[in-house]
Amino acid sequence: MAEIHLDPDVLSGLQEVMESEYPKLLDTFLDDSQKRVEALRKSRDDAKALGRIAHSFKGSSGNLGAVRLAQLCQRLEVESVGSTADLGALVDQIDHEFALVRPMYESERERFQL
Amino acid sequence: MSNLAPVLEPLTILIAEDSAADLLLLSTIIRRQGHQVLTATHGAQAVEVFTRERPQLVLMDALMPVMDGFEAARRIKQLAGEALVPIIFLTSLRESEALAQCLDAGGDDFLPKPYNPLILAAKINAMDRLRRLQATVLQQRDLIAKHHNYLLHEQRAAKAVFDKVAHSGCINAAPNIRYLQSPYALFNGDLLLAAYTPSGDMHVLLGDFTGHGLPAAVGAMPLAEVFYGMTAKGYGLAQTLREMNAKLKRILPVDMFCCATLMCLSAERRVVEVWNGGMPEGYVHEVATGKRTPLVSRHLPLGVLSAERFNDSTEVWPMALGDRVFLLSDGVLDTADVNDQLFGAERLQQVFAANREPDRLFEDIEQALAAFRGQARDDVSMVEITLQAGEPLRAAEPMYADSGQSCPLDWSVGFEFRAQTLKSYNPLPYLLQLLLEIHGLRKQSGALYSVMAELYSNALEHGVLGLDSGLKLDARGFAEYYHQRNERLAQLSSGYVRVHVQVVPTPTGGKMTLRIDDSGPGFDVEQVLARPLDVNRLSGRGLSLVRQLSSDVRWLDGGRSVCVEFYWEALA
Amino acid sequence: MSVESEVSLDGTKLMITVKGRFDFGSHQAFRDAYERFYKVPELYVVDLKDTTYMDSSALGMLLLLRDHAGGDNAEVQVINSNPDVRKILAISNFDKLFDIS
Repeated sequence: MAEIHLDPDVLSGLQEVMESEYPKLLDTFLDDSQKRVEALRKSRDDAKALGRIAHSFKGSSGNLGAVRLAQLCQRLEVESVGSTADLGALVDQIDHEFALVRPMYESERERFQL
Repeated sequence: MSNLAPVLEPLTILIAEDSAADLLLLSTIIRRQGHQVLTATHGAQAVEVFTRERPQLVLMDALMPVMDGFEAARRIKQLAGEALVPIIFLTSLRESEALAQCLDAGGDDFLPKPYNPLILAAKINAMDRLRRLQATVLQQRDLIAKHHNYLLHEQRAAKAVFDKVAHSGCINAAPNIRYLQSPYALFNGDLLLAAYTPSGDMHVLLGDFTGHGLPAAVGAMPLAEVFYGMTAKGYGLAQTLREMNAKLKRILPVDMFCCATLMCLSAERRVVEVWNGGMPEGYVHEVATGKRTPLVSRHLPLGVLSAERFNDSTEVWPMALGDRVFLLSDGVLDTADVNDQLFGAERLQQVFAANREPDRLFEDIEQALAAFRGQARDDVSMVEITLQAGEPLRAAEPMYADSGQSCPLDWSVGFEFRAQTLKSYNPLPYLLQLLLEIHGLRKQSGALYSVMAELYSNALEHGVLGLDSGLKLDARGFAEYYHQRNERLAQLSSGYVRVHVQVVPTPTGGKMTLRIDDSGPGFDVEQVLARPLDVNRLSGRGLSLVRQLSSDVRWLDGGRSVCVEFYWEALA
Repeated sequence: MSVESEVSLDGTKLMITVKGRFDFGSHQAFRDAYERFYKVPELYVVDLKDTTYMDSSALGMLLLLRDHAGGDNAEVQVINSNPDVRKILAISNFDKLFDIS
C-alpha cells in the first residue's frame, strides 16, 4: 500500500477554508502535535493514557492531512485496549512519522512568512 | 416551506474540543458560516459556558480531560429542560457501543473527523430546523394552555353566576321535586328551573341548550330571568313561552337554540299543562294504574322561530294526587356504549317496567346507564315531580317600607276584554299587579290570584266559550275539553269578559269588590251550588276553592256575573 | 366525516352530502359547502344517506343553511336520513322548517 505522509489536497482545502488563519492553524498543529508526541513518550507504560492521547492526536492529524500519522494513531488507540505488547514500538513509529512530516508542515508554513 | 431553507439567523454555537488545532479549525469554519462561536477545552468548562451563555447548539468532542463529552452532554440536556439544544458529537468513533453511548448521553447527531465544511453546515441547518420546530411547539403548547386556563376560568365564573340564577327558585326547597343532574365542572347546557305561581301552582322548566360552557350559559341567564319573573307575576305558560322564545331568538346566533319542556302543575286543579319543544318524551305516571302518558315534543325548540310563527299551544293532562311527572334530557337517551349504540327510549321503557320502588327510579336509571356504558356523561338531567296537595299560597314580594300610607284606598276601575284580546292575552298578571298596589291585600295575594284566575277562566271557558265542565269527568273527556277550548278560542269573533274592581276604605282597613261579567248564557246557580263536593272529580273544583278563599261570593244575572269580596285590616 | 357539495348543471340546485358523523367537527366544512358558491341556487338539498350520527350542533348548522338560503322563504330539503337521524329531526320538529324525506 502506497503510504501518503501528507495529503496536499487537504492542505489546499484547509487554506481555502481558513484563509488568513491558515498559518496560525499550521502553528497550532505543530505546537499541539509536539506536545502529544512528548506525552506519548512519557506514558509508554500506561495503556489507557496512550489510548486517549492517540484518539485526540488521530483526530487533529486526520484533519490536517497527515494521513499516515493518523493511521498510526488509530492503530495505537485500537491496540491500547487489547494487548500491551507492541505499544512501545507503535509510539516509536508515531515519533518517527511526526519527525518526518514536521519539516513538510514547516516548509508549508514558510510560504506565509510575513 | 423548503427543506433547504438557508440559515435564518446566526446561532450561538458552543464547541467543546481539547485539541487546539481541531478547535481552531472548527471555530473558523463555523464563524465563516455566519455563526457566533463559544469555545471550551473540556467538559466541565463546556457546562459552565453553557450555563452562562445559553448557546443554541453544541458541538462536543467525546473524549476530553476533566469531564468527558458524555457527562457534559447529559448535564447540558438537563439544564436545557424542555427546549431542544441539539448536541452534535465530534467523533470518528466507529464502534457501535461508543455511538450508543453518545445517543444515551443525549447526543442528536455525529460529525466524523476529518471535518467536511459542507456536511457540517448541512447538519447545523438540520439541527436548527429541529430546534425551531421544538421551540414553536413549546410556544404553541404554552399559548394553548394559557388560553385553555383562561377559558376554564371564564366558564367557571359563568357557571358560578349561573348557578345563583338557576337555583333561586324552589328547586331545592320543594319537597315534591326530585332531580338528578350529572356533576359537571362547567355549565353543561342543561337547565332546570322551578318556581311557584302566585296561586300556588308550580312551573318547571327543563331545558337543553345547544353547546356547552360559556355560550350556553349566556343564553340560560335571560331564560331563567324570564321564567322566574313571569312565573312570580302570575303569567301563564303561553305568555312565558312567547317571551322566552322572543328573547332567545333576539340574542342567540342562528345556529343556537334551547330545547325545553315547560310545564305547570296545579295540585288545586289536579292537572299538568305541558309544552315540549325538542326535548325527549317525558311522562305523566298515573300511580294507581301504572299508566305512563308520554309528553311528546310538539314544537321546535325555543329561539328558532320568529314571534309571528311561534306556537304556544300546550297540552293538559289530568293528574291525581301522588301521580308523578318525569322529564329527562337527551344525555340519558344518547348515552352510547363502546360500539356507539345509543341507550335509547326502549331501554328506558324497560327500566320503567322493571322499576319496583318509584322512589328509586333515578337510581335504577343510573344503574342501567352505568351497566350500558360503564361511564357517566356530563349532561344527564332527570327530574320527577309528585303532585301533592297543600302547596302554600304564596305571599307577594316584600312590602314597601311606607306601611301603605301612600297606597290608593278609594277607587274603582273597569275593563272589558273582547274577542280578539281573549284569544291571546292573559289580563290576570296585569290585574294582580294593580291590586297589589293596595298594600293591605298583599298578604292575601296568593288567594286573590287563585280566585281571580278561577273566576276569569270560568267566565271565559263556560261563559264566553260555552264549554261544559261535565266533559271533564274522565281522562278522555278531559282531553276533549281542552281540545274544544283551543278550537273555540281560535274561532272566537264576539263576546267579552268584563272585570270591575272597587276599592273602599272601612273603619278597620278596606274592602275590595271584584265583579266579573261574561257574555255567555249564564247557568243555574242554585243547581250547581247544590252539588256535593267531590274531591276526586276532575271538574267542579274551582267554585269550592273560590268559596273557601274569599269572604263572600255571589252570582247575579242568572250566573252571568259573579262578585267576590276581600277585606283587610289597616297595617300597623 | 366529510362534506361535499355540487351544483346542478343549470345552477338551480345545490346538493350537500354529509358522510360519517354530522357534529361540531363538520361546522366549517358544512359552511364552506354552501358559502363558496357565488351564484345562489333556488333549491338546497342536504343528503344524509351516509350520515351515521347527528347532534344538536348539526341541527344548528341546518338552521344556518336555512338562514343563508333565505330564512322563511328558503327551500331546503333534507333527504335519505336513517332512522336514528330521522328520530333526532322528529324530536326537534325540524319538519316544520325543512322538507324532510
